[in-house]
Amino acid sequence: MKPLILHGHERSINQIKYNREGDLLFSSSKDNKPNVWYSLNGERLGTFNGHQGVVWCIDVDWTTTKFISGAGDNSCKLWDCETGKEVANIKTMSSVRTCMFSYSANMAVYSTDTAMGQHCQIAILDVRTLDESISHQDPILRIPISGSRVSSILWDNLDETIITGHENGEIIQWDLKVGKKLNSIKEHDQLINDMQWNKDGTMFITASKDHTAKLFDAETLMLLKTYKTERPVNSAAISPIAEHVVLGGGQEAMEVTTTSSRAGKFDSRFFHLVFEEEFARVKGHFGPINSVAFHPDGKSYSSGGEDGYVRVHNFDSSYFEYNFDY
Amino acid sequence: MPALEEVKPNWAEEVELEGGSLPSSTEVIVNGQKIVTEYKFNEDDKKVKIVRTYKIEKRIVSKSIAVRKTWKKFGESANDKPGPNPATTIAGEDVYMQFISSKEEDNKPEDEGIDKLKTLGDKNVVKCRTCGGDHWTTKCPWKDTILAGGKLPDDKKPNQVVGQSGPGVEIPKPGGSKYVPPSLRDGGQKRPDGANMARRDDNYCAVRIANLSESTTEVDLEELVKPFGPIHKLYLAKDKQTGLCKGFAYIHFKFKPDAANAIARLHGHGYDHLILSVDWSKPMSNQ
Repeated sequence: MKPLILHGHERSINQIKYNREGDLLFSSSKDNKPNVWYSLNGERLGTFNGHQGVVWCIDVDWTTTKFISGAGDNSCKLWDCETGKEVANIKTMSSVRTCMFSYSANMAVYSTDTAMGQHCQIAILDVRTLDESISHQDPILRIPISGSRVSSILWDNLDETIITGHENGEIIQWDLKVGKKLNSIKEHDQLINDMQWNKDGTMFITASKDHTAKLFDAETLMLLKTYKTERPVNSAAISPIAEHVVLGGGQEAMEVTTTSSRAGKFDSRFFHLVFEEEFARVKGHFGPINSVAFHPDGKSYSSGGEDGYVRVHNFDSSYFEYNFDY
Repeated sequence: MPALEEVKPNWAEEVELEGGSLPSSTEVIVNGQKIVTEYKFNEDDKKVKIVRTYKIEKRIVSKSIAVRKTWKKFGESANDKPGPNPATTIAGEDVYMQFISSKEEDNKPEDEGIDKLKTLGDKNVVKCRTCGGDHWTTKCPWKDTILAGGKLPDDKKPNQVVGQSGPGVEIPKPGGSKYVPPSLRDGGQKRPDGANMARRDDNYCAVRIANLSESTTEVDLEELVKPFGPIHKLYLAKDKQTGLCKGFAYIHFKFKPDAANAIARLHGHGYDHLILSVDWSKPMSNQ
């Protein structure tokens, strides 16, 4: 396969996300401008200019009209997807680490870091009307987090609960009606970098610094599967059409120069969802992969790396013909 | 792509047009392909023509996707023309999905077996089944004498490997043991081939010829040494890739006086454009 290399960022990629139909691919990086691309030909549609710091997280709603981004400049911004104009700017007390629209996009959630004397907190916004008023409105709900900070977040698909992944490896399910903990588990030993849904929202996969990715049942938080690697996993995604998961990772950026590098450390690695066995690798990045995402049609996937490139891969026929031996 | 009627040249091109020295870029659409031709100066102030070919594909998509295709570009891309901008979108080199079979992991225990053999180190891995000495059965000096299965008294056991290459009849090893390549048998110490050769041909008379020219061939060499007497073997060192002579050769004469004669006559002899250096071939220092 011939990947498309998207070179719109000056620094390492933090997160990439497809919209619901998969025709657009959003990317954010340590520079201050999230980008949006046509996934088919790699043409850049535009950049969202306005942030002054690292853009940690991005999300797009299901109609592809609203776009949210959280950044290290202590702000969370809402944008109009079509024009790339900033609509609302929410000032926070510390940098915004995660953000996400609920499935209906009536609400959005963001979480802030434990930094500058501030505690980590989760805030839920009402974003039914996308206008300037959001900048001043009080969040519907604030949940202060006393323990380890939130490092990744997911809405369930009925907008009733959120699931947070924490720096210490804990996963907590929150009831938004009362703002209380519903359930919590600690299956990971270290920071959870990323969480992603499967197609129908019954399971989610976590990617952790403890060198594993794990599959959980969304309702009960029961651990279903574990995918082991020998290096930190930064991102994991589940194929919408096959029983495959893709993991992206590598050494931590700060350790790349101090440890001996062997070819093959920065591959995207494909595991079988059920048998937990690695069956394929794709090379390409010159550094750790920070974010991976499957196209919603399952026929291509993208990865964003520490090298600042987003690579869009359209699978060859060999991938679709491949049968896992068991 | 949304096909805009008129394509305004961007500012960078306008500057070039003012210079007047560069032809303007052109876009031609022929049977489903868009060919974009651009001209620019490279670092050496030389005119460079860049031709990019794009395939135009029509896809039937849902209405919402089609609408999004017509969105105007914004932000940093506001001035981009329709179609991918080569500055931000690059077609990557081919990469392949490497499929991993689980069988690869099965190799690991075997490696461990070899490692164990290696750790045995200098211990006698090799044991002669005839006399119990530390050499191969086929090389046993007692092979043709007592044999008959009777064990030798301890004082008669040979300690040295005697350099006789007997007609190598491999006797199958007792079952259960894995095959270990010879290079790994004696504690992983690999014996260079040259040493083996020298030992094998002890009773011939090896001569080393150095400072041969690159163009020397085996035929030339044969012509050079034939007059001195019958030759058992002739080896010309050649480069693996180029096939050219590496500058030295070994000649094994059948009789020692011939070899001595050859050394006396050929040492210092001018050959091609070089002066040959000929001497007895010295065995490897560790032998």
